[in-house]
Amino acid sequence: MEAIIFGCGTLTTLLVPQLTEDGYSITVLDSHQECLEVLAAQAPVKVILANEPLMRDYLHEAGVETSELFMALSDDDHQNLLLAQAATHLFNVGTVVCRLDHPQLQETFAEIGLNVVGAPLAPLALEIQKAIVR
Amino acid sequence: MYAVIVGCSEVGYHVAKALLAAGHEITVIEKRHSRCQLVWDELGTVTVQGDGTDEATLQSAGLARADLLVAVTGRDEVNLVACQVAKLRFDVPQTMAVIKDTKNEPLFHLLGVDLVVNSTHQVVTSLEEGVLGRPLVHLKNFRLPNLELVSITVPEDAGVVGKHWTEFDMPDSSQITLIVRADRPYLPSQVSALEAGDEIVAVTLTGEEQTLYDTLTGV
Repeated sequence: MEAIIFGCGTLTTLLVPQLTEDGYSITVLDSHQECLEVLAAQAPVKVILANEPLMRDYLHEAGVETSELFMALSDDDHQNLLLAQAATHLFNVGTVVCRLDHPQLQETFAEIGLNVVGAPLAPLALEIQKAIVR
Repeated sequence: MYAVIVGCSEVGYHVAKALLAAGHEITVIEKRHSRCQLVWDELGTVTVQGDGTDEATLQSAGLARADLLVAVTGRDEVNLVACQVAKLRFDVPQTMAVIKDTKNEPLFHLLGVDLVVNSTHQVVTSLEEGVLGRPLVHLKNFRLPNLELVSITVPEDAGVVGKHWTEFDMPDSSQITLIVRADRPYLPSQVSALEAGDEIVAVTLTGEEQTLYDTLTGV
């Protein structure tokens, strides 16, 4: 089973061990060389440096046509949306997950059927405000 | 018409200017203060400083009553999301996006962007035609991925010169739609034999383009 993850952050680092154990061979795409190098040293993943705005080419390189799972987990909502929707509609990837931080974008795109995940930032913002007041 | 323009780099600025000159009402949404200031100074139009994919920002730009959203930031993904939010949240009748990555075009169409302007494609086309003198010019990419309209000029020494279009093997999914000769269009059935300099307008698949090119220009 093949999985592609766009975005090489803490979230990805946390997910990789379990996915590997579940039998996925994982390819991680990101625009930061350093982060990919660190990840590749820690875990058995293939990494692709995607530092130009030619995302469709990078998806091909990562083997999107034969992947069962695509997760857009970067901290860029817009990039995540473009790639997750491409994986869904152009490449018919079985399971697509899209991380979004903006609460309104979370709502809008969940409504049209995208598998949206994201920290509930609105409550988090409230919590921070409370912490400051104290 | 009322248009909201997202992004005010070079393209956005000139779109704004052109729409104003044509008598339309516009609002520009732009992140950078300096560009907002420029629009105010030069065009006398109020801009909303902010993110053109953010609902509150779009709301304050009056998107709810807009006839058109034009997304012309320098980033394809921002332009896509701006158009989608405009459609899904504000029911804007027409959306338009500029894209840089040619391969994004089918996705934009699929996701409901009404007009997709492919800036890279236009530069490449102009280059092919104007500078390289290449006999093949891309006229249009269709909404269906992989289908395109091209124009190929028959060279002097081509093997097809003097032949009727049924006398040579066209690639399976390519169709000659028009033959332009001495500035007049002819249907393929009206032309008994191809001549050097004929401009062949054909529908083809991206994967067959090279074969079609070889067929019509090969010695």
